[in-house]
Amino acid sequence: MFTKKKSVLLFLLPGCMGLMVFYVVPFFGGVWYSVTDGTYKNSFVGLQNYLAIWKNQMFLLGLKNTLVLSLICAPTVWLLSFVAASLLARIKPAGALFRNSILLPYLMPSSAMLLIWLVIFDYGGPINRAIAGMGLERVLWLEGGALRVPIILLFIWKNLGFAVIIFLSALQAIPEPLYEFARLEGAGFWKQTFSITLPMVVPSAFLVIILEWINAFKIFKEVYFIGGAYPDESVYTLQNYMNNMFSKLNYQNVTTAAYSFALIVFALFGALFLTQRRLMKTLT
Amino acid sequence: MKRHHLLRRRHVLSRLLLSLIAIVMLVPLVVTFLYSFFSPEEIKAYLQTRGNYDQKAMMDIVLSPKVASLDQYYRVLISDNSILRMFANSAMYTVAILLGQAAVIPALAYALSRFRFRGRDAIFFTIIMLMLLPFQVTMVPNVLTLRAIGLLNTVWAVIMPMWFTPFYVFLIRQYMVGLPDELLEAAQMDGAGTVRSYFHIVLPVCKPVVGAAVALSFADLWNLVEQPMTYLSARQDLQPLSVMFNQLVAQPSGIEFAGAALYIMPALLVYLFFQEDILSGVQLTELK
Repeated sequence: MFTKKKSVLLFLLPGCMGLMVFYVVPFFGGVWYSVTDGTYKNSFVGLQNYLAIWKNQMFLLGLKNTLVLSLICAPTVWLLSFVAASLLARIKPAGALFRNSILLPYLMPSSAMLLIWLVIFDYGGPINRAIAGMGLERVLWLEGGALRVPIILLFIWKNLGFAVIIFLSALQAIPEPLYEFARLEGAGFWKQTFSITLPMVVPSAFLVIILEWINAFKIFKEVYFIGGAYPDESVYTLQNYMNNMFSKLNYQNVTTAAYSFALIVFALFGALFLTQRRLMKTLT
Repeated sequence: MKRHHLLRRRHVLSRLLLSLIAIVMLVPLVVTFLYSFFSPEEIKAYLQTRGNYDQKAMMDIVLSPKVASLDQYYRVLISDNSILRMFANSAMYTVAILLGQAAVIPALAYALSRFRFRGRDAIFFTIIMLMLLPFQVTMVPNVLTLRAIGLLNTVWAVIMPMWFTPFYVFLIRQYMVGLPDELLEAAQMDGAGTVRSYFHIVLPVCKPVVGAAVALSFADLWNLVEQPMTYLSARQDLQPLSVMFNQLVAQPSGIEFAGAALYIMPALLVYLFFQEDILSGVQLTELK
């Protein structure tokens, strides 16, 4: 550890300056926009913009869809990745091939997958062929509320791998003697899972859900690929709303929407953090 | 004996499930490459059977071309350069951002992990908070700055804010914190200062996590959508291929699969090159 070194500035300053200029200072400076009316006089209006935006139908729709989509995506990726990682940990070391093919899509541009997705989910495509083969009614996957399905699946396809890797490294870090000892004590599979595996992976599980949640807020990407820039109402996200307001140069609205969303996100993550702390206490 | 048998049977089930997941992951990629070797006319005709709402009609499941052809690639690479130009835009953003990140981010992580100074923890806390904020929130301060310095609707609007992506600072910092103190103490005894320690000891030792960060950042940048769409809304000519794919698909001319396959290839190379780094980078980093 270096102490009292002037040279720290050499390493610190470029990054910190950038973070200040592009993120921190304008973040606080932007608060000014959200409490003024944006007219020529630009007078102070207090919390009026915030009250107005909570009555704005499009904002509420975008917010609702973003939260709903992320509430489906993040836990699904979380659960699936835990299952996949557990399976991989069980068949080690032969699982490398499986592990690599699950990680591969994380590096792939999902934009390039759009074409194949449109074929797979076409009204006459393979998925509907299978559905019809089972004697069920075909689904219009690319229209209306059903659009959520191909969008969510594209998200999962791309994001599963990284979460699996994090879980897998946590599972593999659990010392094998712990299990042997438990088995000697007569603990069965479930007892081992609850007293050894789960407590040991809680920190990673917390990390994965946070990372996936941040990622899932960016689901606009998948929505844009499949639903276009002006998608169906059922997948209209907050980003669509922000882009719209942004192109109208309505900075009052953009900043107000952003800070409202930031409050919600911090409340969500704060609650998650407290849950993790309590969980760690009860499990250990 | 019976127990052993049971255990092996369970492994068969695990393998079966994993094979299923692996196949689902790989099929879209394999089929994209497969379709890129169809002739443009054949694939265009096939794509036109989409969107048929007739209850009796289904799309055929086509897995082999009438004639294998490199015509799509010929058109994309040589005769029609519209896709290639957007591909070049993607490459330009990715390279410019990665170079900036390489200059700024490991250095910042080094300062935050191997030095002790006043305000260090406050800076790290700020970085974590920024990391948690979704793009919809951070885009606002980005835009305010870009507008103030007049860079909106130029390529720098996409490039500059991403030089400071907080997540990679966090990732590399967590790895550097775990390095043994003896490593740097030995260097100090030999008379190495902070700069020499950084370039000759810390960076080489951090190769796995830096490699992982490069690969993860590449994956993000090669699929860039929000930033160019929002910051370059007036500049259609500066959009990367990732933004333009769905417009290409709206009017397919039969060369899109070769475009997609070509777009996947650099990502495939990055994956093969950095695969081990991603695995060990994640494994060795205290991500808690």
